[in-house]
Amino acid sequence: MRVYKPTIGMEIHAELKTEGKMFSNAPNCFSAKPNINVNLIDIALPGTLPQLNHEAIELALKAALALNCKINKKMHFDRKNYFYLDLPKGYQITQHNTPIGYDGYIEIEIGGKRKKIAIECVHIEEDTCKSIHEDDKTYLDYNRAGIPLIEIVTKPVIESAEEVKLYLTKVREILRYLDVSDVKMEEGSMRCEANVSISDTNKLGTKVEIKNVGSISYVVSAIEYETKRQKEILSSGGQIKSQTRRYVENKKKTELLREKEGKNDYRYFPESDLPLVEISEEDIMRIKEAMPILPDQLYNKYQQAGINEPTIKAILSSRELAAFFEEIYDQKTAPIAAKYLVSGVLKYLNKHGLTLKETKLTAKDFNELIKQAELNDQQIQAILENLLLGKGSLKENLKQIKEGSISNEDEILTIINEVMAENKKEVASYRDGNERVLKYLMGQIMKKSKGKIDPQKAHQLLLSQLS
Amino acid sequence: MKNLLDLELKKINQMLKEGVIMPIDLVEEFAKKVVASDLNAFITLNLDEARKQARLLEKKEVDNILFGIPIAVKDNIVLQGVPTTCGSKILENYISVFDATVVKKLKEKNMIIVGKTNMDEFAMGGTGETSYFGPTKNPLNKNFSPGGSSSGSAAAVAGGLTPLALGSDTGGSIREPAAFCGLVGLNPTYGRISRYGLVAFASSLDQIGPMSRNVIENAHLFAAINGPSDDDLNTSSEKPFSVDDITKKEKYRIAIPRFCLTKIINADVVSVFLNCLDKIKAAGHQVDFVEVPFMKYAIPLYQVIALAEASSNLLRFDGIKYGYQTENYQDYDDFVTKTRTAGFGTEVKRRIMVGTYVLSSENVDVYYKKALQVRRELTDEIKAVFQQYDLIMTPATVSTSLILGKKREPNESFLQDLLAIPFSMSGHPSLVMPADKIDNMPIGVQIAGRYYDEKTIYAFALELEALVRGDESV
Repeated sequence: MRVYKPTIGMEIHAELKTEGKMFSNAPNCFSAKPNINVNLIDIALPGTLPQLNHEAIELALKAALALNCKINKKMHFDRKNYFYLDLPKGYQITQHNTPIGYDGYIEIEIGGKRKKIAIECVHIEEDTCKSIHEDDKTYLDYNRAGIPLIEIVTKPVIESAEEVKLYLTKVREILRYLDVSDVKMEEGSMRCEANVSISDTNKLGTKVEIKNVGSISYVVSAIEYETKRQKEILSSGGQIKSQTRRYVENKKKTELLREKEGKNDYRYFPESDLPLVEISEEDIMRIKEAMPILPDQLYNKYQQAGINEPTIKAILSSRELAAFFEEIYDQKTAPIAAKYLVSGVLKYLNKHGLTLKETKLTAKDFNELIKQAELNDQQIQAILENLLLGKGSLKENLKQIKEGSISNEDEILTIINEVMAENKKEVASYRDGNERVLKYLMGQIMKKSKGKIDPQKAHQLLLSQLS
Repeated sequence: MKNLLDLELKKINQMLKEGVIMPIDLVEEFAKKVVASDLNAFITLNLDEARKQARLLEKKEVDNILFGIPIAVKDNIVLQGVPTTCGSKILENYISVFDATVVKKLKEKNMIIVGKTNMDEFAMGGTGETSYFGPTKNPLNKNFSPGGSSSGSAAAVAGGLTPLALGSDTGGSIREPAAFCGLVGLNPTYGRISRYGLVAFASSLDQIGPMSRNVIENAHLFAAINGPSDDDLNTSSEKPFSVDDITKKEKYRIAIPRFCLTKIINADVVSVFLNCLDKIKAAGHQVDFVEVPFMKYAIPLYQVIALAEASSNLLRFDGIKYGYQTENYQDYDDFVTKTRTAGFGTEVKRRIMVGTYVLSSENVDVYYKKALQVRRELTDEIKAVFQQYDLIMTPATVSTSLILGKKREPNESFLQDLLAIPFSMSGHPSLVMPADKIDNMPIGVQIAGRYYDEKTIYAFALELEALVRGDESV
């Protein structure tokens, strides 16, 4: 029996989080109302010329560096020419010959092994406008026309749907961390295309393109389906045709969109309306220095600080939380801070469906709070919730707890003695050598004091009373 | 009829200052002349707006030499609220919603834009005959073409309708009509003037430039419209040209490419040119022949580069967003095909086809990439000449003006630009001015200079103007 192996190449389009569009000053923001964020350049009025968004170039450079790419220090833009309704100029301004980044990679971990996924290039381009088809009419929304994109193209090196999933998740995580893109597949700020072929030799098979799939799990399902479909065709002696297919979500299968008859000829050539863009070594250094530590690097750092794996994963799941953690990061207090960040802050956020920014908690207060050695777990959690809600300052909260807490040794002794009197059997049992009852007695003391006693202190005094 | 518009700008300016005349007098004189004219120089007149503006100017101080002067603008430069047709059916009813940067600059100088001038369709042609609105006639002899593609701008100035006009030049479209109408026309250094608002033909070559009756008025108009602008990222941050920069030199070192004597160039043109060189030498300037071997590839080079870029620049005219639309169609492809088939004229379609061909994946290396290489070589050769010489001179055109209505081979429309194209390719500034006449039709010479060194071109051109006139005082 023949063994067919899939080979997959991925293309990711990610919209960059810039103020303005790539080649005009119209705002780049998601809007439900059509044709609001549009100016003369976006609709290609005769006589208009492109502007150049340097913020987009910075973001793209950030992404390219994070994807371990080499950087084209002298780059130009090219025109990709074709007719389509959604393409106002009849050409898309893109980077065909000098992508900002090339020859990069990212690492994924599969079956306990690390694998490098080679990235062919990262290039900058503009989005097309959105066409909405209703009955026999087509409506055009130019809000999207000209929004800056980066396209991240892998080499055909991915060998399974599982690898695709890990790769996409990783890239999305990186882009989110860098804050270069919203990477929301449901809003279209991240879009994927897969090129799938299968072969039983070292030679690559005929490539089938699957366009614009709406989520990572759909991409996985589409590739699984497509691999199976191609195997069945080849096993029964058929031939794979070069096609563009789309994924149909409710059927969990791919369907033919169009046959690729001959190669599309986009007649690429340099865009002379825009000057050459030069990226200096200083630009690269400046961006590298300002770049946040990426999840992979953070993972290693947190592991070395002794934080357990579920806690690390919980922190890294949110860019905001990780950034917060990084702000107060101190190797000595890291495990305790991580604990409260997950068991306190994250739990609260998830419960109320909030982001950290929407609460009143500051990194400074959080950091001070977790260093309060005299507070017990319950007290810290209580204050944390107050801070998240904005109920009083840290100082006020601490004062309140201290006023309420029983620090007077005589008072503590009174409570201890009361508990000992009520539990004579246990006291006797302890004195007979059963140390396990100590925990029970401590529990009773804390209960009686309503948690207002410092447990360490109570523990000390209890021991002295028992002996 | 008073002939105020035939007076020198200096004189008109003086009269305006003294209050002897008002801007409205100039506009009314233009209106009368243009109605009486059969040159077909204008596609759209802007008379209502011009009159309104002239009245407004009466309250303002005459603060510069261009104040209140009527000017004609080529119809591929946009003016808010007025049609911009580019001489094409496809934009017949297209009205721009914004002003080109040069238009804003003209308005800042309080110039009065009186109309949009006729032109070869999308600036593709050398006789004005590809215009959807019919050919323009040469005021010096109405059986002849005024040249193209800035045909109407040249005819307006030569016909005494306006003292000044703006043209655009991609490979000679200002310089050839200037030569054929006995005018001064400048194609500035690439990047001197914002192209924002100029409908693109070939982006790496297109430039807006001034057309005038004499050298100094040309310099005044150039000074008004040049300078960096944020809306065209190719404009240079170089110090803008000002008329005060023009300073006369004792002795100019002038290079003449030996290619100028090639048999392709009409013998009469060559003899006028050589005669002109004799006068220049006699005035004490150094004139040397040099080799610029790549000049001979000018026309095929232009055909590849300009038409490739044009094939892309004209893609936006699909009828979806603006312009002519076909009425009966099946789907998008059918709509676009029918719209463009009916909307564009033959020459434009031919050039789009050639441009598409040279960019196609199987031809791009052989034609387009090779052409880019040749363009670099040619540019290097010209730059090398400018290391030793102040100026390069050539005849302006291959012959004198062409008779209208004659059937011509497609290639012929490029031939007149043989000597203009090299400087478009290298981006150097070059100016055309009249040198003499043959059979009553003018013959021009071309003076090219170093990048951003229009001041030296003007200084020398002023001297040559006097030499040609035969002034004793030079």
